[in-house]
Amino acid sequence: MIPFIQTTLDGVMVGSSYGLLALGFALIFGVMRRLNLSYGPSIMVGAYLGTLLYIQFGAPTYVVAIVAVAGSVMAGVYVERLCFAPLGVGAGVASMVSSFAIWMQLEQASLLMLPRHSYPFPSLTSGELLSVGPLVVRPDYLIMLAAMLAITAALHLLLYRTRFGLGLRAIIENSVAASLSGIDVRSTMLKAFALASAIGGVAGFLVLSANQQVTAMLGMWATLKGLIAMMIGGLGSIPGAIVGGLVLGVIEVHSQTLFGPQVRDLAAYGVLFVLLVLRPGGIFGTAAVSESAAHRGGDRWTTT
Amino acid sequence: MDDHLTGILSNIGVISFVALSAYLLLLTGEISFGQQAFFAIGAYTAGIVTAMWQLPFWLGLGAGAAAGGAAALFVGLPTLRLHGLQFAIATLAFAEAVRILFELFRYQVVRAGEPVGPNGIEGFRNIRYIFEHDVSATQFMLIIYGLLGMTLFGFFLLERSRLGVAFRMIGQDGLLAAAQGVPVFRVKLMAACLAGAIAGLGGGLYAHLTTYVEPAIFDVMLGVHSLAYGLIGGLGTAFGPLLGVVIDIGLLESTRWFAGYRMIVFGGLVAVLLIVRPRGLLDERLVHRIRRLVSRRPPPAPTNAAVLGEEPS
Amino acid sequence: MIAARALLLSLFVVMVSSASGWAAGVKAKAEVSCAATAKPLEYDCAIKLSDARSGAALTGVEVTVGADMPSMPMAHNVKPVKATPGSEPGTYRAQIKLEMHGDWAVKVDLAGPVRDRIVKSMRFEPKP
Repeated sequence: MIPFIQTTLDGVMVGSSYGLLALGFALIFGVMRRLNLSYGPSIMVGAYLGTLLYIQFGAPTYVVAIVAVAGSVMAGVYVERLCFAPLGVGAGVASMVSSFAIWMQLEQASLLMLPRHSYPFPSLTSGELLSVGPLVVRPDYLIMLAAMLAITAALHLLLYRTRFGLGLRAIIENSVAASLSGIDVRSTMLKAFALASAIGGVAGFLVLSANQQVTAMLGMWATLKGLIAMMIGGLGSIPGAIVGGLVLGVIEVHSQTLFGPQVRDLAAYGVLFVLLVLRPGGIFGTAAVSESAAHRGGDRWTTT
Repeated sequence: MDDHLTGILSNIGVISFVALSAYLLLLTGEISFGQQAFFAIGAYTAGIVTAMWQLPFWLGLGAGAAAGGAAALFVGLPTLRLHGLQFAIATLAFAEAVRILFELFRYQVVRAGEPVGPNGIEGFRNIRYIFEHDVSATQFMLIIYGLLGMTLFGFFLLERSRLGVAFRMIGQDGLLAAAQGVPVFRVKLMAACLAGAIAGLGGGLYAHLTTYVEPAIFDVMLGVHSLAYGLIGGLGTAFGPLLGVVIDIGLLESTRWFAGYRMIVFGGLVAVLLIVRPRGLLDERLVHRIRRLVSRRPPPAPTNAAVLGEEPS
Repeated sequence: MIAARALLLSLFVVMVSSASGWAAGVKAKAEVSCAATAKPLEYDCAIKLSDARSGAALTGVEVTVGADMPSMPMAHNVKPVKATPGSEPGTYRAQIKLEMHGDWAVKVDLAGPVRDRIVKSMRFEPKP
């Protein structure tokens, strides 16, 4: 029984990073109804900038963290300005492909900065394991879980207690009505993008410091994990993103313990596929996303 | 012909297949991130048939295309009723699952004292049909383009047929198409099957061209690239994705002096291009204008009557 | 539509029936080792070719060396270079220039008296 709980606990820990990544995706998708394929790479740019400072100048950890988040935000804003803002309502596929092109651009820019396959990354704690009764917990992951809870709480406050949050929720509900009510849709979307990138930057920093290394696969990894977690939890749903991330983490760690590392990814994809087929809305999402899109009057995702 | 040029043209030819595969699905309004899975299935199947079972080349290609089509049918049945993004992610999940399965797949036969066959992560080496049977690089390139030409001819016929019109109708507005009497699900399934077969055919050709495939080749990058080719080159005609492939691989060769910055330049160019032309270079409007210029009288717009089967008088 | 299908089918039949004849070629085996040069991303590769069945060294073969990244097929396409024969029989040298570090599939193409292609997976990392 104890090993099962331990594995589940590990899964929850890992899952909290996936949850944060999915949160960024969900925020962007909820507001823009489009998929940002450059999300992972923009986190990578921030992380690589931080790593560069760490390696070249021995920067302290908090500087690396600030740079990582700031870098992600800069990259995110760049993506929004180039791929999403200029393309009108309905050009969903075009902006997605455009964001993919920028994915390649950002990834190559990062690799030009730091060409090796992996680099050391500063860690937040000494790495000693904490014991909670019969269970063992890694403090880095505990920090990640705490950060996820804190960010979720802060986001909730933002969404429900501020004007900006009100505008955001209005746009998620119906962007046309929101703009008619006087909400500056474009500026709010830009800020939402920046916020999502910042959250992603934090997630990236925490994961890298827990692993104490950064690899060239960061961009692809962040994009895939965030996407899968978001879909499991429910398309565009913010609580769904967190739940989806935790579920993904638990599934992954259990599969790895039972069958080995290769099956871990296979299990994640398998579960996602089955879930999509059986319950396309995910755990929290609406069962028919297309209906709400139709109400939007022409803001269809697939047509131009 | 210079070997290097033959190689590049052969590459363009083979990648065009997977680009056309994604394009066909895009016509029906479905975005697929997973066509590379059928490309992989076609590659492995064709390789197994020729290198391990020592059967003729055409049988291998046919088996690859059939396997691709069958797999697409198998996946399409549960997923095609999903909408937009959910379908896209489902295809992505499927393709990645297939890729990981190939990493675990081991099936080897001993030929002339050496093991031949798919070997998990190491991939499938020594698909040496064209060397064992003295097919020159130029001959193989002609085979590739011959098959590509037949496929394009098929698309040409499709665009002028009721089925092709049905595809585009569904792509524009599935609900309206259903209201007009188009059997949406069946038509989408047919499109998926054809797309899978085209990708499978391309995969078989790819395996024999490079003599070596490994699971890492068939990753998400290939899938999104094949989608991007259609978007860049234009969704108005089957030449669109081909144009996209030529631009990408052609730019590859010409911007050699950009060396380490190629992706940065290319990515930026694509993003700017999509701002100006969201449906690609050869989009539907441009193609329609070209057709009007070329023909003496403007082509009749397809009417609903034609789709429903009543002959226009 | 039906006539067009018949045309396609007959084209197909013609292509099938004109399949090239059978010829047993020589199968080659290659050992490839690459060493970094002073310039970054440039590598000196030594190739040793032998007959896979008999083990005899293969001399006088036209060898071209190229490379591709498996994770991004045809995204890089290092320009293939012709290898020069080395001092010992069956050895050849070539200098290749890669676009980035990582896992590459090095292709050794043989022309001349023997036609074959050998692919070796290798990882190239920058010097620490």
